Amino acid sequence: MKQDFYRKLVDMYAGGELPEELEQEMEWASFGDPELSHDMVTMRKTVELLRTMPKPEFTEESNQRILMKLYSKGTEIVPKQPTVLYLQYQLPIQS
Amino acid sequence: MQNDALQDSQAEKRLLTALANGDAAAFGTIYELYGERIFRYTYRMLGNRTDAEDATAETFLKVLRRSSELRADGAFRTWIFRIARNLCIDRLRQHRLMELPTDAQYSGAEERTTLRITVHQALAELPQEYSEPLVLCDLEDMPAREAAEVLQISLPALKSRLYRGRRALRDKLGNMVEKSK
Repeated sequence: MKQDFYRKLVDMYAGGELPEELEQEMEWASFGDPELSHDMVTMRKTVELLRTMPKPEFTEESNQRILMKLYSKGTEIVPKQPTVLYLQYQLPIQS
Repeated sequence: MQNDALQDSQAEKRLLTALANGDAAAFGTIYELYGERIFRYTYRMLGNRTDAEDATAETFLKVLRRSSELRADGAFRTWIFRIARNLCIDRLRQHRLMELPTDAQYSGAEERTTLRITVHQALAELPQEYSEPLVLCDLEDMPAREAAEVLQISLPALKSRLYRGRRALRDKLGNMVEKSK
């Protein structure tokens, strides 16, 4: 019956929401229960995969384009960081 | 730590009050504080840089236009994320943009890169009610209570969607999850 209780806790186990003692208890219990073990391992790996996905890079170019859009709508925005030199002037397009 | 949090919240209150009074410097500071996070969130939601830049700019324009509604009660972060979310949903409805971004930057070992692209695709294929809690809680590391406020649902509903979303993603990824290190 305790296995049913553990099965209900797999989602919380995967997200690291359980106290350490209970996590260890579940890991011990999973040794003799391949179904529970598979569920615990794959769910935890799924969460780890999500949490280690790379963050989209907020580049200086993106930052400047966003600021330009805000300026173009008449927004008075005073950014703390000065605009980098090479983005201050538009170079003529060479044909 | 608690002192830092308290000072942060007091500084934010002063900032929001200044913004409500039309202080341009305050708006700049708010952009410095939240610009990157809002960009990352909209990028995750929309899947490409250009739309994320547009949505981020629109979010801050809305913040400015609605600055008189601002309440300095600590709910600003959820409020600004909610604005960004609504803008993303509108865009998704208009353009059905949930596709792999052409400018996605994944680097590292080939196996790991393939896995990340697969995760990205699987996430994009999930129903929105499942993918949104995953983006906020697992990708953006937002506490569940805050994510529930952004999505305007109860905490139990958020957790239920989060758990179901993770399971649906696991099932979509199949053997790749087991093989991942």
